[in-house]
Amino acid sequence: MRRAFISAVATLALVASAAAQVGRPSEYQVKAVYLFNFSRFVGWPQQVSTDSAFAICVLGRDPFGAALDAALAGESVGGKSVVARRVSQAEEAAGCRIVYISTSEEGRLKEILAVFDRASMLTVSDIPRFSQRGGMIQFVLQGDRVRFEVNLTSAAGAGLRLSADLLKVATAVRRVAQAGS
Amino acid sequence: MNLLVSAMALLMACAAFVIYDLATFRDVITRNLSVQAQMLGSNSVAAIMFADPNSAESTLAALREAPTVVAAAVYSGDGKMFAAYRRDRAVPVPMTAETVGNELERHWYSAGTLKLVRRIFFQGQPMGFIFIESDLEALNSRLRRYLFISALVLLGSMAAASAASAALTDAVVKPISALAEAARAVALRKDCPVRVDTTGPLNELAMMGDAFNNMLDQIERRDRELLAARDHLELRVEQRTAELAAANKELESFSYSVSHDLRAPLRSIDGFSQALLEDYGDKFDAEARGHFERIRAATRRMGVLIDDLLNLAQVTRADMRREPVDLSAIARSVAADIRKSDGERRVECVIGDGIEAEGDPRLLRVVMDNLLRNAWKYTSKHPTARIEFGQTQMNGGRPVLFVRDDGAGFDPAYAGKLFGAFQRLHGAADFPGTGVGLATVHRILQRHGGRIWAEAEVEKGATFYFVV
Repeated sequence: MRRAFISAVATLALVASAAAQVGRPSEYQVKAVYLFNFSRFVGWPQQVSTDSAFAICVLGRDPFGAALDAALAGESVGGKSVVARRVSQAEEAAGCRIVYISTSEEGRLKEILAVFDRASMLTVSDIPRFSQRGGMIQFVLQGDRVRFEVNLTSAAGAGLRLSADLLKVATAVRRVAQAGS
Repeated sequence: MNLLVSAMALLMACAAFVIYDLATFRDVITRNLSVQAQMLGSNSVAAIMFADPNSAESTLAALREAPTVVAAAVYSGDGKMFAAYRRDRAVPVPMTAETVGNELERHWYSAGTLKLVRRIFFQGQPMGFIFIESDLEALNSRLRRYLFISALVLLGSMAAASAASAALTDAVVKPISALAEAARAVALRKDCPVRVDTTGPLNELAMMGDAFNNMLDQIERRDRELLAARDHLELRVEQRTAELAAANKELESFSYSVSHDLRAPLRSIDGFSQALLEDYGDKFDAEARGHFERIRAATRRMGVLIDDLLNLAQVTRADMRREPVDLSAIARSVAADIRKSDGERRVECVIGDGIEAEGDPRLLRVVMDNLLRNAWKYTSKHPTARIEFGQTQMNGGRPVLFVRDDGAGFDPAYAGKLFGAFQRLHGAADFPGTGVGLATVHRILQRHGGRIWAEAEVEKGATFYFVV
């Protein structure tokens, strides 16, 4: 399907079109697209593929809003349609493939990560030092560009394979075991 | 001349190979460039998706290791340039991707470089475009190298071929040409003074030259022998002719004088017999007169014989003329003469029309006279007779003349004696004659280069066939 094409274009096309309207795409519009793009560079272990849909979840306060649903509209991964879910508890996130942990949950990070331990979920967050604290992908801003860091050890620990292409565009690749335990 | 042609052939072969190789090489270059584009494209996908031009640029920067690549660029899905690489600072790179239409990839040559644009796909979906431009230095240097090698090969082989040709010419071509020339000279001039030079490096050619010379020697010797034989033969022919002429002359004068000498006494006998009969006839009794009659008859017969002999001799002596002769007319004239002298008999004469021959008219008349008189004579015992003179075709298709009668005929067993002089197959009591007539006819036809033969059955008639 050519939807991914559109999503890839969105990153830059939004620059042009949005320039005529509001200016640039908002930070969270870009991050929403990236959330979906991550799915194309990550390999999940076999046992997870029995789900009927590919769920991308937001845990805690949702900073994306409609942008996430817009970015996921019509997309599919591996034949499964992509859906967005908002949850308030870590336990509710079972079955999600990608989980965005909102900054509102920073205080309970350790507990959340413990719940997600070995759950084969890709954890993404804006929480500062997320990748050093056991998260897998952490968004960073370089100037006005949205970038991200990657923690290979955390991902490997959950059984996820991160593509080398993804690592190439990451600003930093960390191999740090979960701080604390 | 041959060298030039060979050089041209070699040049064309070289050119064909070079062109084919360069064409194939161009395909190889294009394919390599395509592969590079594919690799660069797939390596740039993440950069496009995550808006990281730096990452794409560092990917493209690896092209510095490929010295033939002039420039490269990655374009996002909307065709705008995303990242670029330039070998030299001044190289231009297109700011938007060239459209490839519906194809995956397109390449073209312009301004001395090969340019290629390819769509980037990721997981089955189009992502953007990759552009890559390569100079043709590899191709050009290859072409230069080939030209250089071809020139070397060409010059080298021409030099070698010249040397080989010169050596070959001296060893082989020259001796063979000399041989051919000598053969031609011999054929033209019809004598054999020339000989071939048999020195030279090649054994086989020397042997051939020797054989040729031997052959010429033999030819010369045979020519000499032939000439000698011919001279000898001519001498003998002259001698023989002289002998023959002398013999003939003797014979002629012999027959002539004999005939004349014989006539004289005959005339005496005949004359005095007649005188006796006339002057003293009444003194003799019937028996005595009968004796005288028989004397006179005998002398008359002898006179005829002498005349015939004279005729025969004349036939041999007389000069022959050759002219067209109407045999039909002669035959009719002869038949008329015979009828005049013996008109009592009932004889049917059939003379063919338009029968002609080439020969002496007097002699041919003698032939017709003899043949027709013979036919008349030998049919005299039959109440009616049919004599025919005509022309017919023999087996070979040649026309043959004939005189046919239905008279006494003769026994074919004795046909061989027919044309001998004084040969008679019938007794004088049955048919009078001297036996010289057919010999005369035979001699005349022989002089004309013709021949005569006969077929017959006893009492059924005879046919005399002859060719003039």
